Amino acid sequence: MAAFNRRTFVKLVGASAAVATAPSARIAFANAAIDARLLVVVLRGGMDGLAAVPAYGDPQYVTARAGIALPPPGEAGGVLPLDGTFGLNPSLTEFAALYAQGALLPIHAACVPYHGRSHFEAQNVLENGSAVPYFLKSGWMNRALTALPAGNGDLGITIAQTMPVIMRGDAPVTSWYPSVLPQPDTDTLERIAAIYAAADTKLHTALVHARNAHAMATDSQDGAQFPSLMRAAGGFLANATGPRVALIESSGWDTHANQSLTYGALDRNLRALDAGAIALRNALGAQWQHTVVLVMTEFGRTVAMNGTSGTDHGTGGAAFLFGGAVAGGRVLADWPGLASGNLLDRRDLKPTIDLRGVMKGVLADHLHVPDGHIETIVFPDSTGIRPVPDLIRAV
Amino acid sequence: MITQQAVIAAQRFGFGATPAEMVQINADPRGWVKAQLAAETALPKPLAALPSTMDDQLAFFRWLSQYGNQAKSAEASAMATSVEQSYVRALYPRYQRAVQARFDTAVTTPTPVFERLVHFWSNHFVVSGVKPIAIALPPSFERDAIRPYVTGKFSDMLHAVVKHPAMLIYLDNTQSIGAHSKWAKNPPRRPRQLAAFPAPTGLNENLAREILELHTVGVDAGYDQTDVTSFANIITGWQMITPRQPARFAALYVGVGDDLFYFNAAAHEPGAQTVMRKTYPAGGVEQGEAVLNDLARHRATATFLATKLARHFVADEPPGELVERLATVFRDTDGDLGAVTLALVDSPQPWAQPQSKLKQPEEFLISAVRTFGGPQLAPRQLLASLNEMGQRPYMPLGPDGWADQQDYWLSPDGIYKRIEWAQLAGRGLAGSIPEPDQFADAVFGDALSAATRTAIARAESPAQGIALLLAAPEFMRR
Repeated sequence: MAAFNRRTFVKLVGASAAVATAPSARIAFANAAIDARLLVVVLRGGMDGLAAVPAYGDPQYVTARAGIALPPPGEAGGVLPLDGTFGLNPSLTEFAALYAQGALLPIHAACVPYHGRSHFEAQNVLENGSAVPYFLKSGWMNRALTALPAGNGDLGITIAQTMPVIMRGDAPVTSWYPSVLPQPDTDTLERIAAIYAAADTKLHTALVHARNAHAMATDSQDGAQFPSLMRAAGGFLANATGPRVALIESSGWDTHANQSLTYGALDRNLRALDAGAIALRNALGAQWQHTVVLVMTEFGRTVAMNGTSGTDHGTGGAAFLFGGAVAGGRVLADWPGLASGNLLDRRDLKPTIDLRGVMKGVLADHLHVPDGHIETIVFPDSTGIRPVPDLIRAV
Repeated sequence: MITQQAVIAAQRFGFGATPAEMVQINADPRGWVKAQLAAETALPKPLAALPSTMDDQLAFFRWLSQYGNQAKSAEASAMATSVEQSYVRALYPRYQRAVQARFDTAVTTPTPVFERLVHFWSNHFVVSGVKPIAIALPPSFERDAIRPYVTGKFSDMLHAVVKHPAMLIYLDNTQSIGAHSKWAKNPPRRPRQLAAFPAPTGLNENLAREILELHTVGVDAGYDQTDVTSFANIITGWQMITPRQPARFAALYVGVGDDLFYFNAAAHEPGAQTVMRKTYPAGGVEQGEAVLNDLARHRATATFLATKLARHFVADEPPGELVERLATVFRDTDGDLGAVTLALVDSPQPWAQPQSKLKQPEEFLISAVRTFGGPQLAPRQLLASLNEMGQRPYMPLGPDGWADQQDYWLSPDGIYKRIEWAQLAGRGLAGSIPEPDQFADAVFGDALSAATRTAIARAESPAQGIALLLAAPEFMRR
């Protein structure tokens, strides 16, 4: 790959008067101003929180989950116990090890502030950071970045081919995904950049950011399986002058049917998530201690099995924080219980934690985003939702 | 000289055009678009060569019996790991062939505007092969339930969609049974190969919810969970013919054509149901048909569809006046999609708005090959190219289909991948397009910006000139 040095960069952005509005105008110093790293993993489709983090100690667990309840700890395929109430799905063995090390914090009965059971509205709320679908066009991760000291241009990176709502906005972000196509030559790239600079600001901005990412990318031939993407994210975040915040997506969590099959969709996804955590940790190396990973999904699923051995769209569900900077080894939950009278609409796990509180806690205590910025810019309609304290390990 | 209007006709309403086609379009851009809004009389050749819906279903059962035979000789646990992989491997060649046929059709069709409508509606009512069980289903679905209706009645399309095996399988309705139905009390015998999959015992609300939210009235139309559940009850028993053995299946159903819909009264939830404040009396298939008719005529459906259509063809944030006009035509004509499309073409906005839409990756590739007459892509290369750009055909992640806004597609990685592809294609096309600057003029004429024109003229080689044109905003956008 062509080296991307400062001279090429100046040449590239110097190609037109559009330089004044280009994100590269923010170039000042490396991103070394902050050590903290945040990776957000969005699980699309609605992870079944009670399958990932079974409340095996709830007296109603076995009856409420009839047909899909996991065997108790110690039995074949049984729950990996965390405490007397909660456990992990048996496919999450690495997660269990992280928990034992104090680096995993499962969060339960959590939800976005929207309870309408639509994937697309719930995902939009999860990403835009407001309580109302499509209320904001930009995403909360991007708006959080606008409070950080300007680095070398791209504080955020999305490991995806497209740009999800959660990363959209005014802060300079890039994206990267493995490719099997040959790298374009520098001369052609610069001629294209010159056209864009003169004729199309959006294309120009995208290309500048893409070149930033490619200057840092190490292993583009590593494939696109989830653990490989996690490894790539770790590579970017480990880079001293690289992004501090990254996003990864995983899809296929919408398990309406046959969700308990070994090596079925849910099982495969959980195993990939589990393997991804370790791939990330290995790629981060020494930066693991500065890292928080937030794994979240748009909603939980129905408590009871539906008519097709799966679960339908629900409300409360599970999320995870993990990483060297997480104060884990415990479960964060205000458990509402699985008795049918305690369920939302007699079908869903009642949400008792607003995920925005978790997001706020991470932004405040890990990335040190100022409270005022969090309250007015990042989550503008979230009055009353307090940042969850003590999510981050005291250094 | 090629005019702006001709470029709009070719790019915004079509899939781009060769220099020769541009001359023809230039004579009457709007007329060229309007002449393509008639229903087609025969399937395009590449599509006619694809297997029938019946054959796709038979393929499933052929796989099932082979899989069952393998299962006897292998350890059950080892087989469990690969049931979906085995299925995908067996059916993938059908998927690959269909993607190529869809691409070839779009590249060669004399009616690209019609084809754009097929792609639009196929994405509106998407069946995604990303779900392993559905991998081979989208092509027959598009051909049977979408193509015949893109300039016909919306309600006809809706009925065809919801009764198509592909949709019934994709959104789990074949497995949904009424909790008080005969099948809930006395489950039928099932093929032993399916032993690993538990038998259905009740409701699955997936299809009912998405019909409301994604296909008709939209999420803000005022329905709630009770409506979703009631509607799901109403369409229990909406299944497909389920043959046990291919030979018997073929013998039984010769001559029934591709209509494999089957209303299974034994799985249907008995009783009256209320959906969106209207009560539908107890009944059979007509109970669900009545709901579909009401949804197709609902006021919110007209607005929802008009917005999507205007967004797709005109602008990410479509002009309100245009949406209102299209919605009104939809209501006044009882959902005549031909009339609605004609109103779109006859409106001033599509011909005046700047070309702000970013082509989606598949469109980008189709228009490249259509415009330049190449490069020839083998099926594997075609799929690899689209995969790199984030759009495997027929495989959007969810039932909401592909996003239709540039905020989604115009990402750093997305643009970089197109540039990578453009450079590769430039090398492949250089022999046949020795003078890219003249070619650019013949295709884009007045619409070419000074920056693009100059850059192509100064290119160091024909290959680079072609790459610049493919990557230029004029080509990326529509």
